Amino acid sequence: MEFLNPAALYAALFLPLLLIPYLIRGRPRRQIFSSLILLKEFASRSSGRTWGRLYLPPIFFLQLLLLLLLVLALGEPVFSIRPVKIAIVLDNSASMQALEGRKSRFELAQDEVSGILRDLGARSRVDLYLLVPRLERIGEEAMAPSKAMALIRTLSPYDLGDSAVNYGGRFSSLVEEKGYERLFFLTDHPVQGQGGVIKAVSLGGPKDNFAISSLELLRSSFISSQLEARVEITSFASREGKMKVTLKGAGKILASKAITVVPGKVATTSFAGLPPHPYYEAEIDAKDALALDNHRFAVPSLSADLKILAISPRPQSLASLSSIPGVTLKVISPEGYAKSEEAQHSLEVFHFSAPSVLPHHHALFILPPKDNPLVAEEKSLSRPVISFWRDPHPLTRYVNFALLRPNYARTLRPLSVGEPIIQSPEGPLAIAFESQGYRYLVLGFDPFPYLGRQNLPVSIFTLNLLSWFYEGRGGSSLPTGEPLELQDGTLVTPKQDRFQIKKGSPLFSRTFYQGLYQVTRGGEKEWIAANLAGAKESDLNNPVPVDLTGEASRPGSRSSLFSLWPYLLLLSILLLFLEWYFNPPVTQS
Amino acid sequence: MLPAPFTADFLNRLEALRLRTRKEVLGSRPGSYSSPHRGTSLEFADYRRYSPGDDIRYLDWGVYARTERLYVKLFREEVDLFVYLFLDASGSMAFPSAQEKFSPASHTALALAYVVLANHDHVKLHLLQESSAAPASPFYRGRHRIISCVDFVSEVSPKGPLDFAHSLGEHLRRIHRPGKAIICSDFLMSASSYQRGLNLLRAFNLDIAVIQTLSPQEVNPAFARGSLALWDSETQEEIKLQWSTELLRAYRARLDHHNLELRSFCHQSGIHYSLFVTDRDLSEFVLETLPAIGLFR
Repeated sequence: MEFLNPAALYAALFLPLLLIPYLIRGRPRRQIFSSLILLKEFASRSSGRTWGRLYLPPIFFLQLLLLLLLVLALGEPVFSIRPVKIAIVLDNSASMQALEGRKSRFELAQDEVSGILRDLGARSRVDLYLLVPRLERIGEEAMAPSKAMALIRTLSPYDLGDSAVNYGGRFSSLVEEKGYERLFFLTDHPVQGQGGVIKAVSLGGPKDNFAISSLELLRSSFISSQLEARVEITSFASREGKMKVTLKGAGKILASKAITVVPGKVATTSFAGLPPHPYYEAEIDAKDALALDNHRFAVPSLSADLKILAISPRPQSLASLSSIPGVTLKVISPEGYAKSEEAQHSLEVFHFSAPSVLPHHHALFILPPKDNPLVAEEKSLSRPVISFWRDPHPLTRYVNFALLRPNYARTLRPLSVGEPIIQSPEGPLAIAFESQGYRYLVLGFDPFPYLGRQNLPVSIFTLNLLSWFYEGRGGSSLPTGEPLELQDGTLVTPKQDRFQIKKGSPLFSRTFYQGLYQVTRGGEKEWIAANLAGAKESDLNNPVPVDLTGEASRPGSRSSLFSLWPYLLLLSILLLFLEWYFNPPVTQS
Repeated sequence: MLPAPFTADFLNRLEALRLRTRKEVLGSRPGSYSSPHRGTSLEFADYRRYSPGDDIRYLDWGVYARTERLYVKLFREEVDLFVYLFLDASGSMAFPSAQEKFSPASHTALALAYVVLANHDHVKLHLLQESSAAPASPFYRGRHRIISCVDFVSEVSPKGPLDFAHSLGEHLRRIHRPGKAIICSDFLMSASSYQRGLNLLRAFNLDIAVIQTLSPQEVNPAFARGSLALWDSETQEEIKLQWSTELLRAYRARLDHHNLELRSFCHQSGIHYSLFVTDRDLSEFVLETLPAIGLFR
């Protein structure tokens, strides 16, 4: 027997509340009586009761049984008939690497699966699915349980986050499509609304965790060779964490710092004046449940040049940008942009223009027209006052906003999630966006022409934004799971697997592990860092619940289950009548 | 003004009753109760040898004709009766209220008093209370004194604890003439306590009758089930118990046993005994039950 809604069984914890009315009733009511001479002997008899003064009549046990049956009925008990065709879906996301005692959650899941497979008959057939990078079957179709078990033992979790999709719907369609009698889903997420054919097994509990959420390699400007590493540590713990942050360059320890992270907060530390290395790694020595996010990798940008493609109906005001050292500028008209297939530049500047779709480059939008994909422009302002700016932020460093007074500006309203950087009392004037690894900045004022020392606030802001795009250029790391764009050569993964990349198949999608991917092309070596992205996997205290509600109500898919709850409900009603019969409600005349 | 149960019909029927005594009494005036003394009634008692000065009207000439000896006939003396009505006025008589227990008990006492007064006998009301003064009425005689009895009783409010034997002893100090003692009480006390009290009365050569008065709530307590802190109306003692049907049953058995013990003691001691539960009709109790136990003739 099993329960389709086991969470309802927690209601049994409230059963002792039934004692409360009896305890209240048990408080003696004071009554006067003519003489107690005949009652004294009974008083001594009741005080010697084992239960003390709490008097529990037989009707109490009837009521207790009634409530217990109701709780059991809520738990939807079913007799399961041994299924023949089952599917096992294993959550192999990064959080399954978290340790529960000596074993990881994934190992616990493997043990759980072996238990499930042991209970199956020899005729049973098993399909095995992994959840990330996407829900897909692995191994052969309809494997024997022993073979499935052997396959499962070879698996390990990926360094990938799981996407919050409607698993209920996905699993239901899988069950309908393949005709599974049971689908076992093993995950470390709490599960809501499971029932019927899908049996979810939730593994692990809340755990404290600390994670390096960011490792940025910055230059003081995009033309500087001095590197600074900024490490951001996020606490997903309920206690304060004191740890050592170590920065390594090409495997050698460069520096380390002690840091204290307040519960639920982010702490940042930086290492300045770093010597050039092909790659860097930050590490914290936190003894927490998930070791994966205690490391983070980054690769500095190799090139110091910033190639800009400017699209503007007024090319003369942008021409001044080429006076900035390290900037290579090409200006085209908006009509020319539609025709061009330029791919060698690293930044696109849309000056009074905008493309219909977001470009696959970092892009700066200056006073874009209405039909742009990022913002809606609202109010026109003349010499607006800057009332708010993000600080600290690479875009606002060293800028004296009291002196930054553009002649003309328009307030912006983001159409998607963006970060306001500069605001006037009337609304945002600069909003930064990040999407698919690209940085976009929309300005509601025109910082050009670049006037150098003649207009320092705007010039510093211009240099800041070029540095910001420069940092984002090529990225210091990629999120795991994101395909690598390669031309040819040999790729060595962090697990030391070698792949030969051939011409014509430039995308390498198996970036399932965090670490450094080494591409060897002739005598050249290129390093690409991949890191676990997103805080959801690191936050072991508040895992996102998986909703399987959509599945529960589907009819006709419970052939291997025999529901008991209607009978329990019937029995409860019968007991209720009995209770009424023995203990009729008191009517006061 | 007489209380409600005392209707004209009831009073008429009470007048037809006479108390019965099991002992000879010492009255002060001629009456209808036999005295141990020889007197002038019509009931023959004995013969005695004639001695000079005897009234020759009582010579039995038939005996003289047979024996040639002079004998005078002796007759019983018939005297009036002194009745002592002891009314329990302790705190327990006010449960559940004075109207529900003490008043019916006092009405019983008044009915008995009226029977006595209607026969031109003497009645005196004694209140059994925790008081060294031992409050009692004067002797009343004549049916018109029933109003005095009512006045005496209506001024009483039952309260306080009661030491039955001690209280009776206090009253008996002032009783000098044997007669009939009738006790109206709930007798919710230990057997030893009421036995000492009743034995005291017996030692005073009183003809005794006991009317045990209980309220329906005492016979069948209607407490809600559950925990109960009961408070003794006389001693203020408190006990805690779990009231249940089983306990009610056990209590009733205990009360039955207590009453049976009292009844047995009375039976063995030559005391009239009757139980009056106050939800009963007073006239029915007085006119049917009390004659049935031999209290009236």
